[in-house]
Amino acid sequence: MTYENKVIDVKNLKTYFRGYDGMIKAVDGISFFLKKGEVLSLVGESGCGKSVTVNTIMGLIKSPPATVSGEIIYNGKNLVGLKQNEFKNIRGNKISMIFQEPMSSFDPLYTIGQQINEIVKTHITSNNEESKKLIIHALKNVNIPEPEKRYNEYPHEMSGGMLQRILIAMALITNPDIIIADEPTTALDVTIQAQVLKLMKELQKQYNSSIIFITHDLGIVSEIADRVHVMYAGKIIEKASVQEIFDHPLHPYTQGLLNSRVKKEYKGRDLPFIEGYVPKPNEFPNGCRFNPRCPFKKDICTSEEPKESLINEEHSVCCWLYKEGENNENS
Amino acid sequence: MKILEAISLKKYFPIRSGVFLQVCGNVKALEKADIKIEQGQTIGVVGESGCGKSTLGKLLLKLYDPTDGKIIYTDKENNSYDITSRISKTVASKFRRDVQMIFQNPFDSLDPRMNIYDIIKEPIAANGMYKNKREMNNYIASLLTGVGLYPEYASRYPHEFSGGQRQRIAIARAMAVMPRLIVCDEPTSALDVSVQSQIINLLKHIQQENRMSLIFISHNLDVVHHMSDRIIVMYLGNIVESCASEELFNNPLHPYTKTLMSCIPAWNPKEKKLGKTITDGEPPSPINPPNGCPFHPRCPVKMDECEKVKPMAYDCGEGHSVSCHLYKK
Repeated sequence: MTYENKVIDVKNLKTYFRGYDGMIKAVDGISFFLKKGEVLSLVGESGCGKSVTVNTIMGLIKSPPATVSGEIIYNGKNLVGLKQNEFKNIRGNKISMIFQEPMSSFDPLYTIGQQINEIVKTHITSNNEESKKLIIHALKNVNIPEPEKRYNEYPHEMSGGMLQRILIAMALITNPDIIIADEPTTALDVTIQAQVLKLMKELQKQYNSSIIFITHDLGIVSEIADRVHVMYAGKIIEKASVQEIFDHPLHPYTQGLLNSRVKKEYKGRDLPFIEGYVPKPNEFPNGCRFNPRCPFKKDICTSEEPKESLINEEHSVCCWLYKEGENNENS
Repeated sequence: MKILEAISLKKYFPIRSGVFLQVCGNVKALEKADIKIEQGQTIGVVGESGCGKSTLGKLLLKLYDPTDGKIIYTDKENNSYDITSRISKTVASKFRRDVQMIFQNPFDSLDPRMNIYDIIKEPIAANGMYKNKREMNNYIASLLTGVGLYPEYASRYPHEFSGGQRQRIAIARAMAVMPRLIVCDEPTSALDVSVQSQIINLLKHIQQENRMSLIFISHNLDVVHHMSDRIIVMYLGNIVESCASEELFNNPLHPYTKTLMSCIPAWNPKEKKLGKTITDGEPPSPINPPNGCPFHPRCPVKMDECEKVKPMAYDCGEGHSVSCHLYKK
């Protein structure tokens, strides 16, 4: 793969916070890249570091007090340690973000138009008429009915699904290279979720931007993602294309996640599940972090941390069960 | 044996405004719901947020008073009581022991200042089940082991537990008085996927061991299908479809149920489903519900009649009832 293909290249990124009882290694040495025009999905349960990862990319983690190390290469520039005023040109302009809770992502005291205008003023134009035209066009793009009227309305006058679509319009208005979507549909109902996902996919094709899509729902992943990275306890434990993840999940945790779907066939039987709970970030076990819950635990798992081994071109996994270039399925 | 029966249950929440707080409108949370719960049966209630499923659960528990309709409670000795408006003290003491609830968010439903022992003791003491302290301690320890926690945890506080463990504590608390019916209001929606299955298995086991009835409220069709014998689909305060859970999945009739089914992601990248969904729009406000069928503004197979006449529940055989003009005979 050529270098130009990578829109963003994250190398050995670590984000640590200092807690009362020692360092909290929220993100602990992860590396990944994002290709032009693809949807990369970060999957994992709560507390596995997905949100901290993207917040670090966005420069939203204050350092100090947090310690951020590693490299985030965007456009030949390292974003780690970049000064805040340099970051201004990138954040919200080249890289923009869609947040989880549409109801609490807006300021209740300003109208929708005023809030989108803030972005337009900073990054595009300070001409009010021009920006209004731009905003109304952006709202139309995400299927908001009567955008002229909505421009002057307040967030409380709108439903969750509509606010989420306005957030999407807000993120797209600067025509960014990268959109980071942090669980954009978790707070929405299923029918609205379907509409929002459909819209995001359409707009992504239209603008040819790249998306980092964070979710804990593998069902959504199957619908929207091109490649999937599974995170557990601050590490990426498996990387693969979406088809590979669903056809040949390798890591026991990924297998467990896929199995924990409530399928029709399980009716009247027990659901398969993963024993135990996600460890707290200050109590990560030694060796492989999944070892206390892993059904295939070996001696080496508790003493040494597994390295990333490449199974084939588009599939790599961090687990002692697998050796480089070998595909011995253990399920 | 029946436990609870509700007949054309209705709940309006008045909206008051102005200086004298006059009623200027109603949130029509629930309209004419009929529901019957037998011993050992699980009834699933599905619908989007704001469709009145939690209101239904709380009405059945008498946490709200219904605006209209009737709730009939049958005790262990098979005596029936009308508990719609007032419950006499003797009936109330039986009813409160028989019917319990598990709430949605285990982070809010446990008092942070009480330890686990006190949380579980409260319903036991309120019902005067154990006078002897040692017996009570043993009982609480057995409850904790029953939900998969160590008895030593009794002296800890809720903040020391993870979401899944807290939901187990909430289950132990509901189980403490040995109820015949538990209303579960989205018990797994605040939990992680890997923990969700643990809690569902636990609920199912407890139910089978004690021959309890459950009302299982959720927005997740897959989970409801797994848990229930019968499913009620709600939309905007109305029950639109109700039938056995197998039947609902094999043969959904109401257009809304079909829409809901089409919105479940495929879990297979080869057969993407969401791009093909047809329904636009969002559920209207329950303050001003549309005339006629509540689903008609979003319905893909709308007819003229749907805008004017509200469909009644038509029986399509084998206990399958649908409120839709398409199935009028």
